[in-house]
Amino acid sequence: MTDREDARARILDRIRAANSGREPEPHPGTFPGAAGGAPPASWVRRFIGAVEAAGGEVIELADEATAGRWLERFAGGFGTAVVSPEVGDAFDPGLPVAPTHEADLGVSRAIGGAVDTGTVVLSSREGRGLQLLPPTHLVLLDARDLHETLTAALEAARDETAKSSASSLPSAVALHSGPSKSADIGGIVVKGVHGPGRLVVALVGAPRRPSPEGPAGRGDPSRSVSSEPGDACTTANETEPGTGP
Amino acid sequence: MTASRRSPRDYPAESRALVDSPVRDAVTAATLSFDGHRRRAWREVDVEAWRDWAEGVKRHALTHLADLLEEAEARLVERGATVHWAESAEDARRIVREIARGRVERAVKGKSMLSEELGVNAALEDEGIQVLETDLGEFVIQLLDEPPSHIVGPAIHRDLEEIQGLFAERFGTPPDASPEALATCARDHLRGAFLTAELGVTGGNFLVAETGSVVLVENEGNIRLTTSRPGIHVALVGIEKVLPRWSDVAGFVQLTTRTATGQPVANYVSLLQGPRRSEPDGPEEIHVVLVDNGRTGILADPVMWEALRCVRCGACLNVCPVYRQTGGHPYGFAYSGPIGAVLAPAFLGLDEAKELPYASTLCGACGDVCPVRIPLPELLLEWRRRAVAQGLAPAAESAGIRSYAALAKRPGWFALAARALGIVPGLRSSRSLPVVGSWVRERGPLEPSRPSFRPPEDAPDEVQASDARAPDGSRLRDASEGGTSP
Repeated sequence: MTDREDARARILDRIRAANSGREPEPHPGTFPGAAGGAPPASWVRRFIGAVEAAGGEVIELADEATAGRWLERFAGGFGTAVVSPEVGDAFDPGLPVAPTHEADLGVSRAIGGAVDTGTVVLSSREGRGLQLLPPTHLVLLDARDLHETLTAALEAARDETAKSSASSLPSAVALHSGPSKSADIGGIVVKGVHGPGRLVVALVGAPRRPSPEGPAGRGDPSRSVSSEPGDACTTANETEPGTGP
Repeated sequence: MTASRRSPRDYPAESRALVDSPVRDAVTAATLSFDGHRRRAWREVDVEAWRDWAEGVKRHALTHLADLLEEAEARLVERGATVHWAESAEDARRIVREIARGRVERAVKGKSMLSEELGVNAALEDEGIQVLETDLGEFVIQLLDEPPSHIVGPAIHRDLEEIQGLFAERFGTPPDASPEALATCARDHLRGAFLTAELGVTGGNFLVAETGSVVLVENEGNIRLTTSRPGIHVALVGIEKVLPRWSDVAGFVQLTTRTATGQPVANYVSLLQGPRRSEPDGPEEIHVVLVDNGRTGILADPVMWEALRCVRCGACLNVCPVYRQTGGHPYGFAYSGPIGAVLAPAFLGLDEAKELPYASTLCGACGDVCPVRIPLPELLLEWRRRAVAQGLAPAAESAGIRSYAALAKRPGWFALAARALGIVPGLRSSRSLPVVGSWVRERGPLEPSRPSFRPPEDAPDEVQASDARAPDGSRLRDASEGGTSP
């Protein structure tokens, strides 16, 4: 064995020896804070409350057309932008592009959001620099990608990215829940210490009702869930015998 | 600042030296603030259920640790990361130096208590590499060449005025610069480093076995930058940091953050799965260094293994009345406060670290606030038991306990001694008597109550409440009489 394999083997042997007299303990199961259960109608208000409590901003936009018009007005306040390739033409602010470390505005597309913690879920597939370097970070979040709990949002992030690229997560999943801040200097809170000092979440549309097999456990199977081929609800329904849309 | 210069042996002298310094006020303000946030955040959720769950997950993880580490390693290797196993601090330093050698001029660092424990900064500097701490609190203490004073807020022992002075001296900021201006100065100073450093070094809050994910939590964004811009990322992760499942992350991140700072979740959470793959940016190389450095020894200890559940939230520091007097420096170890007092003898041996379990009033507050229910007060007592068994307890203390025990077993002598304390002039204010002396040094002379708590032989079985007197002889009011209490 090489030195490296030696060290590895010794550490693992010591761990096994240390645990040899001990009862292995079972995993306790689902996190109790993942239960959720509030109706989606309450989600947007709660999400906005959580993001704003952390110093972020949320703009509610009914649909793509409204969002486009809002974005044109919003972009007027910035000189240059760096835009995620995942954002699509409808949400491109149309500003001159600058290198990531010089741009005034970074525009991301979230792959999900969590209501209970006021979190947007971001993927490294769109690039990390634009999520971190410009002083203002605009995140587009489709309200259908909102999940009630952070647990559900992370679960979906795993499944979502699995669909797009051979069952593997991106190299980084990042959870952003407010603008950058620190209280390290005399206990006084300061924003924009390294990351963006301004986080704006553009929330488009309305939340989708959760699938019956969400992390909260089995829901009411008689509740009708509108499903289309290829969406998450369809997959869940297929595995539950005796239920259907 | 090298770890080897400090030792828990120096705790008595170092803590006494801080008695009249601004540190006590600064640390008290910060810890009370943190604890206030924790209380509020805990009230908002079913925290007892959360703590039970978190304790259960960690117990499961530790009792399955070898399998979970192998699983984490397999997932990381699949994703193109390199996994190293460091048995000792020296191994870890050697591994990091070898990764960096010949190709790194500058390293940016996220806050990592493990890197402090291992002395990694010094190891990189020995290779001629400039190491820049990017967490604002760590940046401040790096300028001061001081170790961190608290697990979550490294610079809480320094107040605003001191930091203003420091920045004025180093960067020419105005002496009354606002916190915003100071933070802007730090950010501008470090921005260039993020963009040019070849190496980013972090710790790891959690390592998920199921996906090989390194999980890092923060509020500033410096860790996201440290793990995104440089071409090489090295993550130092203690072997006890493993979580079994991806689905465990949300709960731990929320519980740890609510307990540490009162936020529902940390501002930025990074879940890292290996180097970049067909992505616009991100590191090309990821090295995860799994560190033992005494952890397997602690795991083997049937009592102390419970301390390995620690999630480094700092809550025990925030409630500790002893920590509050001095901040972390006198502990002479990377970890301070109650968890430091338990881990130091475990890592360094009782001989080196025995002062720390005694630096406690055993009030029990630490055990009440631990999110993963580490029985800290019991562990502190256990270290004291072991110190006595090994003959390491302070000689004066053993002698004092033995004489008290001898007296207490002889009621006649005990009564005589009690009477003597009341009668013989000077005894009650004597600075040289055991127990009495310690009392008198910090407070005034002992004042016995009248009547004595020891009833005379001919007293009735019940002492009436109305018999009680204040030291000046005045009657103490019974609660049933109403009015204000004395």
